Amino acid sequence: MAEPSWLERPIPAVQTINVTKVYHVGHMNYPALKGINLKIERGEFVSIMGPSGSGKSTLLNVIGALDPPTAGRIIIDGTNLRKLSEDKLSMLRNRKLGFVYQSFNLIQRLTSVENVEMPLVARGIPEKERRKRSLKTLNTVGLLQLANKRPMELSGGEQQRVAIARALVTEPALIIADEPTGNLDSKTTREVVNQFVQVNREFGTTILVVTHNIEIANMTHRIISIRDGLIEKEEYLKRLDSYSTG
Amino acid sequence: MQLIDMFKLASKALIDRKIRSVLTILGITVGAAIILALIASSNGLNAGIAANIEKTGANVLTVRNAGGFFASGSTSTYQLSQQDVDYLKTINGVIGVYPFYSYGASIVEGGSSLQASVVGVDLSALPILYKGLAVAEGSIPLLGDTTSAVVGWSIANPTSGTPIDLNQMVSMSITGIRGSRSAVSYAVLASGILAQYGTALFANIDETVFISIQAGQFLSKTPYFTGIYVVVDNTDNVATVQNTIETNYSSNVRVISPGQILSSVQSITGQLTLFLGSIGAVSLFVATVGIVNTMYVSVMERTREIGILKAIGYRPKQIMGMFLSEAALTGVIGAFCGLILGYVLSFLMGGMLGGLGGGGPRFGGGGGGGGMTIQPVFSVELIIFSLVFPVILATIAGLYPAWRASRMNAVVALKYE
Repeated sequence: MAEPSWLERPIPAVQTINVTKVYHVGHMNYPALKGINLKIERGEFVSIMGPSGSGKSTLLNVIGALDPPTAGRIIIDGTNLRKLSEDKLSMLRNRKLGFVYQSFNLIQRLTSVENVEMPLVARGIPEKERRKRSLKTLNTVGLLQLANKRPMELSGGEQQRVAIARALVTEPALIIADEPTGNLDSKTTREVVNQFVQVNREFGTTILVVTHNIEIANMTHRIISIRDGLIEKEEYLKRLDSYSTG
Repeated sequence: MQLIDMFKLASKALIDRKIRSVLTILGITVGAAIILALIASSNGLNAGIAANIEKTGANVLTVRNAGGFFASGSTSTYQLSQQDVDYLKTINGVIGVYPFYSYGASIVEGGSSLQASVVGVDLSALPILYKGLAVAEGSIPLLGDTTSAVVGWSIANPTSGTPIDLNQMVSMSITGIRGSRSAVSYAVLASGILAQYGTALFANIDETVFISIQAGQFLSKTPYFTGIYVVVDNTDNVATVQNTIETNYSSNVRVISPGQILSSVQSITGQLTLFLGSIGAVSLFVATVGIVNTMYVSVMERTREIGILKAIGYRPKQIMGMFLSEAALTGVIGAFCGLILGYVLSFLMGGMLGGLGGGGPRFGGGGGGGGMTIQPVFSVELIIFSLVFPVILATIAGLYPAWRASRMNAVVALKYE
């Protein structure tokens, strides 16, 4: 007897099938990804580790719909990226993805709350509603009192938490973080990591983080090691609750 | 993305780079202001000249001997006499023929002297020759009264010196009498003072003393007139009458028609408007290039920001719209400031062009130096044009930089330092 549909495993947040990426420089080809097969379930907190030049950032850009793969399929929350136009890719980034970068990438002339609002502005959400949602998200990361400060007036950790709020405000299927603590000291690193853990636990947001910091990696569910454009090993540290229902 | 958000973000970006924005806007402001001011004052000049010419009825032709001002190079020595008056009366459509003498004069009164014109003409014809001309005090002397005169308003009420009262003697020193090198002293009785009138066909009526034709002839000591006014029954017949006269006299006389002067003057002022307008257009073009430059630099500087926008899901069209609205906003502010600056500027230019008009040739009743006041003319079309045109230019200027921004590769842009 077939299993009832509600018992089926949910659609994964990210699935990559034989993804390759080759950069062409002059007549030379540089293969950055040589066939990545990866599946990240909804609600998972996954870290990617690997030496410089191993293809980590390329993988993030490809999964983040910022850079098309040379071959292979990428499916984000059930949507195959290959078929999408530039506009559709933008909309997918806006609705399903959130980005957090090492250098925070906040817009300097805008206040915290205005930065957090930016993805909602693109979507055409009226000012009153997006302000409400942004303030709520800032409150989640504990920065409500700094809502009207500009990035220059904030510490590195605070800036990164504003960036996390910006990624979180759209309630994305996946947050992609590229060395989010690379510019932070150990104390603020812990703050930011705890923030990710909290977001993952409270909202069940899927998080994919690239890091060099083994302490951070150890707090995630799974560590994926990449070397020379291939997955070297996958290490499950914690079991996701949702797995047991699957 | 809502339009209002686009412009809000654009204004924040402009405020963020205050000095650069202000300088770019200044360029547009000056360009728009120059266009507006030049066209408005040149339209004003046009309107002023038209009003001036139209005061002399469009049905009044002036016949002068060809040796005068309007025929430099003519060797004709033809002189206008009573014979010509009689002939002109016979032309079909002519309802009045009024010969005149005209001289320059200085009026000496109470120690100060006033430059004026003296015109000897059939005084009863004045209201026919100058539309709406009225006598303020006294009356027009009767035919044959050679000792009385009608004086212009400014002569009776000079800005400095003693006013001339009704029935007072006016002592003049008359120049420009043919065959007489020295000035001739002459005195008339002011039996009528004209109401303020202004200039007509570039002759300042307010600075003219009108004496009888007989007195004019007495001063001339010859039977030859300075010119002859020919009144035509109907404006439609003016060209035919003019043609008849010109055919009959060939190059011996010049026929001046107000309509003709008006159209040739208008074609000159039209070209002036075009010329001045193109100067403004050039300055606006330079300002537009300034916008391209500013926007281009701005796009390059904000490469990383564009990368962020792409990453958080702004579509290429939205990014293009954001930069275009910055350019458009620059244009809007520039156009608005330009309107204000141009309005002020046009009054200054009106003064300059007015001086130009006043220094021009004087004909018709002879020469009082009548400077015109140019009132700049702002048509609705001109105001709309000077508001919309800079905005369109600025938006076009923003097209290429905005397009560059929208086409940027997100990955490359995010790595940009």
